[in-house]
Amino acid sequence: MEYTVKDLGGGVAVLHLDGRLNMTSAARLREAVTSTVANGHPRIAVDLANVDFMDSSGLGALISGLKTARQAGGDLRIAAPSEQVKLVLQLTNMERVLLAHERAETAFSG
Amino acid sequence: MTTGYATRGADAVVSEAQRQEALDELGILDTAPEERFDRITRMAARIFGTRSSAISFIDRDRQWLKSVVGEVDREKRRSDAFCDTVVRERDTLVVPDASADPRFKHNPFVEGDPGLRFYAGHPLEAPGGEPVGSFCVFGPEPRTMTDDDIRLLRDFAGWVQDELWASEELDRAAEVQRGLLPKEPIRPPGYDVAARCLPARVVGGDFYSWQETPGGAAFTIGDVMGKGLSAAIIAATVRGVFLGTGVQGDIVAMATAAADVLQPDLEEAGSFVTMLHARLDAASGDLRYLDSGHGLGLIVRADGSTERLFSVNPPLGIDLGIPLIARHTTIGPGDAFVAVSDGVLDLFDGTLTGLEEVAAIVRRGPDAQAAVDGILALTPRRAADDVTVVIVRRRG
Repeated sequence: MEYTVKDLGGGVAVLHLDGRLNMTSAARLREAVTSTVANGHPRIAVDLANVDFMDSSGLGALISGLKTARQAGGDLRIAAPSEQVKLVLQLTNMERVLLAHERAETAFSG
Repeated sequence: MTTGYATRGADAVVSEAQRQEALDELGILDTAPEERFDRITRMAARIFGTRSSAISFIDRDRQWLKSVVGEVDREKRRSDAFCDTVVRERDTLVVPDASADPRFKHNPFVEGDPGLRFYAGHPLEAPGGEPVGSFCVFGPEPRTMTDDDIRLLRDFAGWVQDELWASEELDRAAEVQRGLLPKEPIRPPGYDVAARCLPARVVGGDFYSWQETPGGAAFTIGDVMGKGLSAAIIAATVRGVFLGTGVQGDIVAMATAAADVLQPDLEEAGSFVTMLHARLDAASGDLRYLDSGHGLGLIVRADGSTERLFSVNPPLGIDLGIPLIARHTTIGPGDAFVAVSDGVLDLFDGTLTGLEEVAAIVRRGPDAQAAVDGILALTPRRAADDVTVVIVRRRG
């Protein structure tokens, strides 16, 4: 999994992920969230448009990222999940905790 | 006859019988070549510039090579093996020129083909310290070993030993984990029950358990985040807490107590567990259940319909500060309660359509065991995720 960070200003950043979000890449996502928060962006929109697969470890990384962001007074929101990602969120009853937005760029506006 | 082996730095003696037992327990003899070992011998032969390098084990009356570089038979008589001297002396052996060494100059591999001259080997030990083999480099040209060379040889041997033990430890862990699954079948009157748990790796994060209750039985299926050893450790903990919390009291109180006990450990591990716990009253068919983010419980009805069990609670380890909610349903004659882990969805197309396929297999019968076997038969040789199925079928 690859990722890029885009600063939207106002403490908001978009984390674009690309690839599979699994046991191997989960640690990378946790680190990415931690460093993005540490760099002054406690409000993170995770763009999942290019994540075609997420397993339970990937979900664990998103939840831990949510915790990290909230502890810094911010939030973590997800955008554009695939059907497979949505299924993982539904089965675990996490779709109300990790609300899916249509686009990452607008997850924190309006 | 007892041959004694002195332990390095200690007086403890390992008998040949203990040594042989330790070797047998490793389960390495006569196994197929493995890249994790072959890359070590390749690298050693290259670095030492010798024609050959080998990982050898001394078994009863023969020497057997797990990995070898060069044209060398994998098996030969123990009495002719240099490695046997390494095992008996439990120390590094360096023979710069075997033709000039009274101990080895009449060895058939020195006198005859391939005209062995140089040999350096270091013992390989089983986890209990028993010498079971040797890591060695050798060739037809005489050669000396500097102190640095000997240190390097020992490092190589240590690496081989780590590989050897790692697999042995994992195999033992797998055995322990299998032992944590229910050993005795459970047969509430009027029902037949079958289950199976197949880890994707040697060990896994799925588990199931069952317990008899005064009027029936309690069933638990759980799936820990991730796979492999770390998931297995958490799985064992969760299973233990659930079994320890008991099945007598109120299901919500019991699950809440278990979740509270587990919360700090799961948080520390950065992990969570999805779980479905259900209690059956055999006579009435009443099934009271609590689903924590598992979402893969079904009632396959005799009338051809399928119901998914209600799931609203978060997985264990994710505390949202809201009370847990339980529900109940009824298993009628000919109905079946089915719980699977999400690895089962991957046996189909990865979507919830898989649950319909599971229901179809359950309907095909004739009993719970046949349905479990039918689902497990779809598992590929290398499954991506742990696969678990529990089926409780009420006779029609």
